[in-house]
Amino acid sequence: MSENLTQPLGETLPGAVLAAPVTDSTGAVLLPAGLSLTAAHLESLQRRGIDMLIVCPPEDPEALARQHVKIRERVMYLFRHTADEPGSQALLHAVLAFRQASGK
Amino acid sequence: MKPPSLDEMIGHVQKLPAMPAVAIEVLQSMAGADIDIGTLARHISQDQVITARVLRVANSPFYGLQSRIGSIHDAIVVVGLSAIRSLVLAASVMSGLPTGRCPGFSQKRFWRHVLGTAVAAQALASPLKRPPEVLFLAGLLHDIGRLAMMVLYPEHFTTVLAAAAAQDCRLEDAERSHFGFDHSEVSAALAQRWNFPADIIDALAWHHRPALGMPGGLAGIIHYADGIAHALDLDQNGESPSQMPSLDQDTVSALGLGWDSLNAVLAETRARFDSYETLLG
Repeated sequence: MSENLTQPLGETLPGAVLAAPVTDSTGAVLLPAGLSLTAAHLESLQRRGIDMLIVCPPEDPEALARQHVKIRERVMYLFRHTADEPGSQALLHAVLAFRQASGK
Repeated sequence: MKPPSLDEMIGHVQKLPAMPAVAIEVLQSMAGADIDIGTLARHISQDQVITARVLRVANSPFYGLQSRIGSIHDAIVVVGLSAIRSLVLAASVMSGLPTGRCPGFSQKRFWRHVLGTAVAAQALASPLKRPPEVLFLAGLLHDIGRLAMMVLYPEHFTTVLAAAAAQDCRLEDAERSHFGFDHSEVSAALAQRWNFPADIIDALAWHHRPALGMPGGLAGIIHYADGIAHALDLDQNGESPSQMPSLDQDTVSALGLGWDSLNAVLAETRARFDSYETLLG
């Protein structure tokens, strides 16, 4: 199993998963381990002067591909009666991309 | 077994409990009534269940606060009156409304879905420049009529659930086939009983047919927020036979959300929901 990565905040992209909680200088937890970071989280951490993060290693590409297929199947199941409707198009594509990127 | 008419249903709705007193006070403060923050905080704090749930969310990672908040008064000061009012309303609606038993109806899924819709509506407020608290409340209550139908007429609602499953149709379509009306009309009647503002009643009444709502009203936003909550599977963990509602193209176009805005709304909805779901107990 790959080891966790300690990396600068500036090199961390949205979607990275925290392997350890982010704490401030007093030890108070700002963000918990296991959280999938969003752009808003990264901006907030920058404002608080956090410069390093411990994140989980990138996932195995094959596992990631399997997860993407599973998410696509679920989203298409939810849209099974409405995927072709014009009003659904933007949300369908945005949700598919968002859920695949976030893994949720 | 003859289903009740809408009038009979609404007559029974009157027998459901009134909104908790603390929720009414919060609503009055939202409506601009001159209410002292200290007094409001004291009144909220008298309800220990609501206080505990609200503080759990205020201390969640979503707000990323450096020190722990221990009182409603501090939560209002640090997190903001608007956010705390929304949380108090959510906690009081969830703890104050009756529960019922109906095979096939999961109250947990119901509350997760309406909370997800409330959070999505709140996330839509910013790009659409609309009031976040009112949208949160409308999202929270949009399906409340369904809960009333289930509690008041569990045998009829069991038939509705079975028909929806057998035909793989939307629950509101099965409601209309069985009762001759759907939950949105009952939701609006309940909101009227609770003296909610007209824009919220309108949003509840027309969230499945937003074109019929008042021009410039909130029905279209709740219509879309409902879709977002379903599409993100906020009601459960991706196993149920849930399905997307049909989204009205004119309504979606009128919202005018671009790709970046929509992505930001999805991200905020997901992040906020992960913290707010602790309200569910």
